[in-house]
Amino acid sequence: MISHLPSSDTLTPGTLALSELRRGEKAVVMGLAGDESLLPRLRDLGFVPGMHCEVTARMWPGGDPMVVRIGGSTFALRRVEAAAIRVLQVRERDAVPATLAREGTSAATA
Amino acid sequence: MDAPVASKPLRVALVGVPNCGKTALFNRLTGSRQKVANYPGVTVERREGERATADGRGLRVLDLPGTYGLTPTTLDEAITRDVLLGRLADTPVPDVVVCVVDAVHLPIGLRLALEVKRLGLPMILALNRMDMARRRGVSIDMERLAAELGTPVVPTVAVKRGGADQLVALLERAGPAPNRTVSAPAWHETTAEDAEQMQSDLRGLLAVAGYGPPRENPWFGRLDAVLLHPVSGLLLLALVLFVIFQAVFSWAAAPMDWIDASMASAGEWVLTHMPEGPLSSLLAHGVIAGAGAVLVFLPQIIILFFFILVLEDSGYLPRAAYLLDRLMGWVGLSGRAFIPLLSSHACAIPGIMATRTIPNWRDRLRVIMIAPLMTCSARLPVYSLLIAALIPRQDVGPFNLQGLVMFGLYAAGIVSALLVAYVMKHIAGSRQYSPLMLELPDFQWPHAGNLLLGLWERVKIFLSRVGGIILALMIVLWFLASYPEPPPEFTGPAIQYSYAGRLGALLQHVFAPLGFNWQISIALVPGLAAREVAVGALGTVYALSAASDDDVASKLEPLIAAEWSLATGCALLAWYVFAPQCLSTLAVVKRETNSWKYPLIMAGYLFALAYIAAFITFRVVNTWS
Repeated sequence: MISHLPSSDTLTPGTLALSELRRGEKAVVMGLAGDESLLPRLRDLGFVPGMHCEVTARMWPGGDPMVVRIGGSTFALRRVEAAAIRVLQVRERDAVPATLAREGTSAATA
Repeated sequence: MDAPVASKPLRVALVGVPNCGKTALFNRLTGSRQKVANYPGVTVERREGERATADGRGLRVLDLPGTYGLTPTTLDEAITRDVLLGRLADTPVPDVVVCVVDAVHLPIGLRLALEVKRLGLPMILALNRMDMARRRGVSIDMERLAAELGTPVVPTVAVKRGGADQLVALLERAGPAPNRTVSAPAWHETTAEDAEQMQSDLRGLLAVAGYGPPRENPWFGRLDAVLLHPVSGLLLLALVLFVIFQAVFSWAAAPMDWIDASMASAGEWVLTHMPEGPLSSLLAHGVIAGAGAVLVFLPQIIILFFFILVLEDSGYLPRAAYLLDRLMGWVGLSGRAFIPLLSSHACAIPGIMATRTIPNWRDRLRVIMIAPLMTCSARLPVYSLLIAALIPRQDVGPFNLQGLVMFGLYAAGIVSALLVAYVMKHIAGSRQYSPLMLELPDFQWPHAGNLLLGLWERVKIFLSRVGGIILALMIVLWFLASYPEPPPEFTGPAIQYSYAGRLGALLQHVFAPLGFNWQISIALVPGLAAREVAVGALGTVYALSAASDDDVASKLEPLIAAEWSLATGCALLAWYVFAPQCLSTLAVVKRETNSWKYPLIMAGYLFALAYIAAFITFRVVNTWS
């Protein structure tokens, strides 16, 4: 599913690295930030702003590698690769990503 | 009689992301009329096939390696880009590019199609697996998509008969291949701005086509929950591997015996029906024995590859790579190395060729270097003979001692490979990071037709690469072992007087510290070039006249049990775990690495390890027994 979010800086407070998500957690991609050599291929695979994704498996220990579903396809990513993907976590019933809702007011005062 | 106006076949290239069913479509288009060669100067397979068309002109279809984008991360992907840009000398720019897209996963395939479209070549979009898409609730408005994209769009169902008909019809209508001198398409690497543009184009196309994400098949989620779980996943993988190896041994036994027996009777027939002399001896002991030595491995190779292809087609293999990536990372390998190393248990040659899927050159080289340490089928005749002759038939707890030793030899191969990889990781110094980023495709039932074609291809490769060398070797061995013939007053076995015998006598000095006697030294002369030849060679050395390898082995067993010390036998086993006794493997390594340096390094380090291991084993077992 592609949702249209207002454009935002990828390092907005509240964004996480995809590698920090637990199994079963869902998020929406905000952008890419990290090792330049990884970014083009991550884009090719569909990790672009607005795409929803879900973590379906994590290896012990440390979630390296992990399995992510995005755009109907499933990929295995190492921790360092997932760390280059910045996301906002989405809770099941939220219309708006949880962290934006929670930190909406504090961001204004930052 | 009129000459045909445009008699040159239409050159079609298939492009697509991995797992889109491109190869199945290629098979559907070309059937068994395929040719697999190599792109000039590189070790990437070039798959080309032909298809007749109604107008008689015909299609020449090139199946390009799968890629996610035109900025390559592997050698394979660079070939795809280079063919499309006309950069390869022998491969002209295709007349038509068919972008194969899995309809179920439209976004990722369409993204590549957008990149290919920028090249400006005539293009057709083939929406594959349309049947699957409908079943999962995906509907695609092909007409609107075609209008928006600006290229024709046709549905295909590669796995059904007739599933490519619409595509072929469209290609037939493509008109005569113009005698144009095409300037190579202009192309630059995708910049971040290009990526954003393509992303918004993609959104537009998906909206126009009315694409919605597919209905999730709940079974996929359930299977993955078990198969990808760190504990149950690894346990199941171990179980799968155990089942495969069991099957390979038990199912292959009968066909191998049958082949052995057939070769034996063929040899006997020649010896009885032809006048005695060099020619009949050459035919029976050289050619037929040689052919037999090659064919006897086919059952094991076919069965192992059958399982590997089933696992690959079903979508399981990348999941195994995911499970093992961390463990293999400890020794500097990626999870992708699992498949080549598994294949190497049948024969290192297809295993080494399978390393082409490993993106990073240094990683690939490391896997190639350790592939021969996997216990290949050719070692088994020697292992079986020595274990039967020297290891007592006892039970250790619930296990059979002989079985344990065999398992131990397999484990020794794997453990030593991991240790060597570990050492290589530290010698090589800091290296460039090679990503995993591996797609786990949807599960699917393996398709019988694709399985058979894949098996047939691997069998052909084995026979042509290995068969030629072994056959030639057996003939050379026959010559070296038969000439010069000893004078009547010579009392020892004839082979001692021959060239092979003299060479063995020289080698004896080298092998004495390992506990090898002169018979072993002679048998290793041909055995150095092909492992499986050693049993037959031993038989010849002990002057056994026997009909087949199996026969030789059963006659050798009591001889060895009586004459060899346990230490000698164990030292020979240790030697066999490491020694690079396979010319065919070295030849393939030379091809795959495009240099003599690496096969020589490989032979060098493996011989060193073999010598050290055999030496230590001999001394230890000697003092201990």
